[in-house]
This record gives sequence, structure tokens and C-alpha cells, in this order.
Amino acid sequence: MLPLIAFGVIMVATRSRHQLSAGIAIGAAGGSLLAAIFLLAWHWHMDQSLVFQTVWMASGRMAVPIGILLDPLSLLMFTVVATISFLVQIYSLGYMAGDPGFGRYYGCLSLFAWAMLSLTLSSSLVQLYIFWELVGLASYLLIGFWFEKFSASEAGKKAFVMTRTGDVAFLLGLVLLWLQLGTLDIPVLTDPAAVGARLSPGMITLGGLLIFGGIIGKSAQFPLLTWLPDAMEGPTPVSALLHSATMVAAGVYLFARLFGFFSLSPTTMGVCLAIGTISMLMASTMAMVARDIKQVWAFSTISQLGFMLMGLGGGSLFAGVFHLTTHAGFKALLFLCAGVLIHHFGTNDMFSIGRRGGRRLKTVMVCLIVGAGALSGLPPLSGFFSKELILGSLLDTGHPIAFLAGLIGAFLTTYYSFRLIFIILFPRKDEAEPAADHPAANAGEFGERAMLGVLGVLASVTVVLGFVEAPLHRFLFQTLATHAPEAGFHEWLPMLAGGLALIAICQAWFEFGRKKAPQIGWVERFPALADLFAQRWYLDRFYRLFLDRFIYGTVSRLFTANDRKVIDGALDTLGLSTIGLGRIMQRLHAAMIQYRLMAMFAAVVGLVIFIGWGG
Amino acid sequence: MAYQLAEFPVLTTLLLCCGIGLMAILLIPAEKTRPIKIVSAVFSGLTLAISIYLYAAYDRQLGGFQFVEHVDWIPSLGIAYHNGVDGFALPMLLLTGIVFFTAVLTMWELELRVKEFFALIFLLVAGVFGMFMALDLFFIFVWFDVSLFPMYLLIAIWGSTRKEYGAMKLTLYLLAGSALILPAIVYLVAHSGSMTFDLITLMQGQRFTPGQQRLAFLLLYIGFGILAAVFPFHTWSPVGHVAAPTAVSMIHAGVLMKIGAFGILRVGIFLCPEGWHYWAPLMATLAVCGIVYGVFVGLSQTDLKYVIGYSSVSHMGIVGLGLSTVTVDGVNGAVFQMFAHGIMTALFFSSVGYVYDRTHTKTIADLGGLGRIMPRAASFFIIAALAGIGVPCLASFWGELVVFIACVRTYPVAGVLAIAALAVGALFMLRVVQKTCYGPPVEKFANLPDVSLTMAVPRVILVSVIVLFGLFPGLLFDMIHTATIQLLAG
Repeated sequence: MLPLIAFGVIMVATRSRHQLSAGIAIGAAGGSLLAAIFLLAWHWHMDQSLVFQTVWMASGRMAVPIGILLDPLSLLMFTVVATISFLVQIYSLGYMAGDPGFGRYYGCLSLFAWAMLSLTLSSSLVQLYIFWELVGLASYLLIGFWFEKFSASEAGKKAFVMTRTGDVAFLLGLVLLWLQLGTLDIPVLTDPAAVGARLSPGMITLGGLLIFGGIIGKSAQFPLLTWLPDAMEGPTPVSALLHSATMVAAGVYLFARLFGFFSLSPTTMGVCLAIGTISMLMASTMAMVARDIKQVWAFSTISQLGFMLMGLGGGSLFAGVFHLTTHAGFKALLFLCAGVLIHHFGTNDMFSIGRRGGRRLKTVMVCLIVGAGALSGLPPLSGFFSKELILGSLLDTGHPIAFLAGLIGAFLTTYYSFRLIFIILFPRKDEAEPAADHPAANAGEFGERAMLGVLGVLASVTVVLGFVEAPLHRFLFQTLATHAPEAGFHEWLPMLAGGLALIAICQAWFEFGRKKAPQIGWVERFPALADLFAQRWYLDRFYRLFLDRFIYGTVSRLFTANDRKVIDGALDTLGLSTIGLGRIMQRLHAAMIQYRLMAMFAAVVGLVIFIGWGG
Repeated sequence: MAYQLAEFPVLTTLLLCCGIGLMAILLIPAEKTRPIKIVSAVFSGLTLAISIYLYAAYDRQLGGFQFVEHVDWIPSLGIAYHNGVDGFALPMLLLTGIVFFTAVLTMWELELRVKEFFALIFLLVAGVFGMFMALDLFFIFVWFDVSLFPMYLLIAIWGSTRKEYGAMKLTLYLLAGSALILPAIVYLVAHSGSMTFDLITLMQGQRFTPGQQRLAFLLLYIGFGILAAVFPFHTWSPVGHVAAPTAVSMIHAGVLMKIGAFGILRVGIFLCPEGWHYWAPLMATLAVCGIVYGVFVGLSQTDLKYVIGYSSVSHMGIVGLGLSTVTVDGVNGAVFQMFAHGIMTALFFSSVGYVYDRTHTKTIADLGGLGRIMPRAASFFIIAALAGIGVPCLASFWGELVVFIACVRTYPVAGVLAIAALAVGALFMLRVVQKTCYGPPVEKFANLPDVSLTMAVPRVILVSVIVLFGLFPGLLFDMIHTATIQLLAG
């Protein structure tokens, strides 16, 4: 609850005093982090989940409980969220230094952190939905943080509306389950026996699919994925937070949370697998042609989230959750690295960063390579372990197509990550230097140190996290009954994946790294294909067209015309002509009271006469 | 049903506050604007204090009508001065108190004919208070009319943008409404078998036949529904809002539209439950039409106040939808939504009013960058917009949630449509926020002052109420529930 108080205090009182606001926010985040670590340590050997619940609101047959559900899954997520938001807030000290909206920024960050932390601990689906919406709200505020820029406010709006579209499905699913089950407590929902006894299989599938609609919106999966790249308009630390531990992770977390429920319906799981696969491949291809460093990471987030959903949809809870955890670490690292580069060179274009000497920032480059390596699943970084796990589980549960797609995805991922790195490391000198997009900011020494320190912490986490797989696995499954066969170990799998990654690196090297490399990817040799990817498969165009033509152009215009002409016109005409007051009314403007009194008098007379008759 | 007489006539005191305030204003010379404003603030503050007291002092265990006052007036016709409040009326009184007080404070800077303006506002609000507490059909009708007639003058004199047209249209529509209500009341009284206008007696006396109930309910529904902006009788409302001055818009959208819905509930549903059941599907259809229609029409508006007007149409649709479900949850949600919407639109109009006073434009395309020019005003506007979208932890979320759940149970198709309209609703609110508050500041407005601390007071009150009931919806639901269970059990 600490960050909420921080939000209130900052927004109301200390918005104009920057240092104080930051202090309060960071203090609150630090407090949450301490609490998280304490809880994690305390409950490391918990044998059953704890639920504290009380009624928030009751109305007739409905009651909205508010409570806390402590089990390994929520604890793990809680810790991840607390850690990342704490680090991001420290990092922002440097990144946002000197911004006129510094206080507001920290206020919104606190709101964001609070909503997400509460979401992870929610004990019922309604409560989860409430915080789900609040997370959306906070991200809206933060993405559109630089609200004077049209593109930023547009991106914020887009993010909110698109996730809201998914939420419509979520809410419907929620209402459906509520009516059928009479409760939305998560422990009940994930208990197969209780659900199976009260719901028909069709109902389970329908409810599952509807809720999954919300996940599609929140986690930016196909077909609602276009808001996420645009969301890069926010400050970079926000992107880091958004992409690693909060906003988009909420979707995957929800799926993991309700894993017991979803796994009851093979259809839902299949759809989830398919959507995950499509999003993953689609986003990887988009990332191959992006020039904006943040865009690349944004597409990679979509694709990694798709990967997590593949793991979950393939039936392995642990693989998905573990990848969520590792991804939170390395994606935050990648974004924050990008943030330093952008901050330092004043541009988002990676070609330009390379030309201006991105390689000279040694620490950042090392961190960037570590992060990219983890993203590509190179051993011994954390991404390696979690990726192998997902691929292995896909193979085990008999989804060969998904497995193949996963391999291709992994290949593409490695390719585009190292494309980026080589472009920055080995720039081509012969191109003219464009002017900086915005002047490079100076964060001051303290800010620089804060930023680099955070990078260091995240990089070391990325290196280490892979090795805690086994204890984490034990911890997670102390209380959760396992529904899925766990992934077996395949001797050849790491070899295969590693080999693929190496080939991808080589190809990237060949095209972008080596001396006199053309720095033109193979995709760009096929203009049609490159165009398709760069236009994001035309999804954006489609939505724009749909909005302009259909919503604004047709429905809204017709309705408005109808309102003005038909309804209003008809009633106006009817009223005026039948009573024959048309002309008289205009003269009676000032005499309205008399008219009114006359009418009342007539009414009263009528009343008396009528009652006289009746009585 | 519990029926508890008042030891002290608190309700009458509430009315007297309006009356004495009105007298006091009339006695002060018109040039002394400052004393007039102070007197207005004091007396409106008193009404707020009394309504809070009533809300707190009401015995929820007991339920039913409390603080009842009963004085025979015209015994031969069975007309009595009969007041009392229950779980439906109390939230409405509280709402009126809050909106009244804040509206008076909002108009602190008024220069034109100050005396007349506040006098009319007091008259208007007296009617509203009276309508919410009256338990006698005759008085309900009289108060109803008392609250309508100052509107014409308020809009025609202090309004803007086609004010004569707006005022005329509004008055004609509402007149048509009362032309339907009066026959319905007379019809019911005439067929009651006893000569009385008393609501309680009519309820407890012999039942009307289903046929009578259906006819009367339909008349009442349309008559009051016009005031509640039920589709397709809503077109007066955006026009009226646009024309009206800020405080009148606040009271109008915040409270007057609730009178319509409250009238349907108090007279229509209390007296004709059979008719209610019979016409419920019609109500649901019209309500959903209003919800969906409101958001789509709102999308293409160019005037800030039109946008809010259509959002009101949409939100009042949710109230209608809740009532149409004929369930405890639906009615609870509907009344909650009435309250939440009242506060929310009051905040909306007061923010827009501030912007209009400074920039003299309500055209969305002319505005921009308010977040930089007047950050406080923009914050209030954004909060109102978020409440309109139904963001959790702000009051209207709960009303919508409960109504939707009740509705999906009764009318699945209607529920799905209404929920789907949520996404469009978000689009349409955020579009307005983006166009007005975000973006680079418009140059000619760049030096306009932000909301001063005194001017911020009413808005801060409204925001706190929204947040308070957003965080603790139980405060309101428990109260409404006492009345709902009795209504549906009886």
C-alpha cells in the first residue's frame, strides 16, 4: 500500500518540489521491496496458500471481496515487480533529471507500482480486474507523459483504448463466470473439481476465451499488438517498466494465475498457443527492419510474451512463469541500456547512435550485450534456461509445429538483437550525420552513476538468475498442484538452439558487423517483404481505416445526422406544428411565464373537474 | 415497512433553508453582489450540512421512511404536506446538497444580474429538494414543476450559444413531460377507490389492476423519462446543456436529470410494480439504445458541452438499464449510478465552465495544451473524464459494474452491447481530453490564469466525493439497499 500513499501525497502536495517527490516515491518502492523480500523469505517453505479476505462492497447477491492471496506464484511476481519498479525509480533519477514534470512523473510511477503490486496479490478476479484497469490507467498517464507531443498523447490514447477493447471481453467473461459460479475467488476458480462440477465444458471454454481476450489486449498479442510499439513515446524508464514487469506482464500473470482454470479447456489452450505463436513470429519479423532502438525492443517484447504464452498454452506453467521472471530482468536491462544511449546521444536511431560512437560507452555496451545474449538464449545467461524449458515442454506435449515455430522465432530473435549490436558497435563512417533529434541531456554525475549502477545490478541478475531454476521450481510447486507434465531434458536441444543462435549471429555479423558490411539485412533485399514488416503487417493501417471510415465516418456520422434531422427534427416539427404554436412561440419568448401559468391553471381546472366526476 | 415520524421537522428545515435563503437574497439590494454571494454560500452550505446529517442519522437497520412529517392540507381532496426519506431519497438529497453548494461556489465570479441569478437557483433547488422528499403525489408534481420553471429564465438570460432556442426547447420538452405525468397521477388517484394523493396510502391500499398499472406506468415512464433523457426523448438535453451557464448545467445534469429517474422510481415503480414488470423489456431496449447511441454521437461532436451532454445521455442509459432489470442488484446499481453520475457531470461542467470563462470558446478544435496553460483545470477535467470512462476507484465504476452484472443476467444481449459500448466510451472521452488538455499550448490563451485556490474549492470537494465513494462504495450501497429490498419484497 505504500506507493498509493506516495501517489496521493505527491499528486496533491509535493508535485512542484522535485527532489522530495522522488524521495517519497523511492522510499515507498523500497519499502515494498523490503516487504516483498521479507515475505518471500518468510514463506519460502510455505505449504499452503494464505488468503486474507474481507468484503469491500455488497449489493444484494453480489459481494466484491477484497483480499490478499499469498502463494508462491503471487510472491514471486510480487518480488519481481517490486524489484524492477524500485530499480527503475532509481534509474529515473538520472534519466528524468531536469524535466519540468519530474514530480508528476514520480507520482504516476508510484500509482503504477501500487496497482501492479496489488494486482499480483489479488485474491479474487474482480479485484484483479479493478487493478488491471488501474494499471492501464497508470500506463496511459505515463505513455502520454510528454503530453505536448501529439504522438505521445496519441500513443497513450491508443494504448488505453486497445487494452480497453480487450477488457470488454475480459469483463464479459468475468460476469459470465460470476453468474455461473457465484464467486470469483481465485482459489475456487483454479480448483478443477469445483469448476468442473458447476460449469459445463462449453461454459469453461467460453469463459476462458473471453478472459483470454483481456490478456490479448494487455499483453499486446495478435491482433491487438499495435499499441505497444507506439507506447515507446513514453520516457524510456517507463518503457522498461511497462515491458518487463508491469503492464504487459500482467496479461501473462493472469494466465498463469488462472492456469488451473484455463487448462480445463483444450480449446482455450490451443487458441492461446496459436495466438502466442502468431504474435511471436509476426513481431520478430517486424523487429528485423526497425531502425529505432526502442522499437526493436518493443517488438521483441511482443514476441517474447508470445513465447511465454506458447509455453503456458503448451501446458507448462513453470516454463512460462520462469521465462516471465527472466524476461523481466533482461528486458528491463535492455531498455535501460537503450535509455542511456538515447539520453547520451539524443536520438533513437541506432544507425545514428553507432555513428556517434555508441561503442565508447563501455559499461553500457557490455550490459547491452549481456541483455541481448539473454534475449537470444545464449548460455549461460538467464534467457537460455527459460527458453530451453519452453521449447522442451512444447516438444514434450506434442506440438511439433509450435516447436518449429519456436525455433524459427529464436533464430529471428538472435538475428535482430545482434543486428542491433553490430550496427552500434561497427558503424559505417561514410554516411552523412543527420542533426540530433533532440539535444542530448546532461544528467549530472549523480544521475549517471545511478543509471549505471542500476544497469550493473540488472546485468548481474541476468547472469545469475538462470542458475536458480531448480530452487525456484521447488518453491513454485510446493502448493500448486501440477497439472502438466514437466518438461523433460533433451540432450540435443541446447545444442540445436545454441547452434541456431550461432548461425543467426554469424549472419548478423556477415550483414552488419564485418568490415565493409553493406548493413542491409537480407529482408531488405525483398522490398515487398520489408515493406510489409515495416508497416507492421498493415495492422495499424487497418485499425486507422476502420476507425476513420467505420466508426467516425459511418456509424457516428449517421447517428449524429439521425439525431439532428430525424429525431430532433421530427419531434420539433411534431411539437410545433400539431399544437400550432410555431409562430406564436417566437413571440411568446418573454411571455413564457404567463403561458406556463396558463397551462398550469388549465391543468388544475382539469384536475378538479376530473376528480369531481370521479369522486 | 418502517415508518418513523420525525421528532424535529428536519426535512422542512431543509426546505426552509432554501426559502429563507431566497428571501434573504431578495432583501439585499442588487448592487451588493458580495453579500448576496456570501448569503448564498452560507445557505447552500447549510442545506449540505443538513443533508449530510440526515444521511448519517438515518437508521439503516430499521429502513423504510424516516423523518416523516405529515400535515393535512386539503383533506377533502386527500392532499397533505407529507415528507419522508428512505434509502433512495437520501443519496439524492446528499447529491443535491453537494451539487448545490459547489455550483454556488463555482459562480463566485458572476457579474451579470447576480441577485436574480442566485434567487432563481435557490428556487430551482428548493423544488428539487421538495421533489426528493415529498410523499404526496400532488406535492411531487408541484415540486417537479417548481424545479423546472426557473430553468427557462436561467438559460435564456445567462446562457450562451443559441440560448433562446435551447431554453425554449428544454421548456417545451419538459412541459410535454409533465403533461403526461399529470394525467397519470390523476388517473391513479381516481382509480384508487379512496380520495387520496398520499403515496404510502396508495401503495398499501388496494392494488391497481394490471391494466391500469400498465397504462399509468407507461405515461409516467415517458413523462419522467423525458427529463431523464431517455432515448429517443433526449435531444433537448445536449442543446440545453450547451446553452446553459455553468452552475445551471451542473445542477441540471447533476440533479435535474436524476429527478426524472427518481420520478420513475418513486411514482412509477412504487405504485405500479406490475406495469414496471410489463414494460421492463421496453425500458431495457431504450436504455441500451441510449447507451450505444450516446457514445457514438458523442464521438463526432465539436463542442465540448455537446460531448458531455451526450455522455450524460449514455450514462443515464445505464441508470435506465439498471431499473429495467427488476432485480435488487439492478436497482441498487441504478441509484448508485445516479449519484455517481450527478457528481461526475457536475465536475465536468464546472471544469468546462472554467475553461469557457477564460477562453470564451467551447469548440474542441480551438483548444489545446490546457495541461500546460492551466494544469489544475486540466487535472479536474481529466479526473472527470476518467470517472466517465468508469475507471475503478472512482465512483461511477461501481454503478456500472453492478448494473452490467445484473443486466447480463436478465438481458444478456443488452448487457453485452452495453459493455461493448465501454470501449467506444473510452475512445470518445480520451479523444476529447487529448484534443483539449494535451498538445502544444494555443498561443492566444497562453497567459490565462490557472484555477485559483478559492475557485478550486468546489472542484476539490467534487473530486473528493468521487474518490471517497469510489474507494468505499459500501457507504452508498448499504443505504440504497435498505430501500431496494423493501421495494422488491413488497
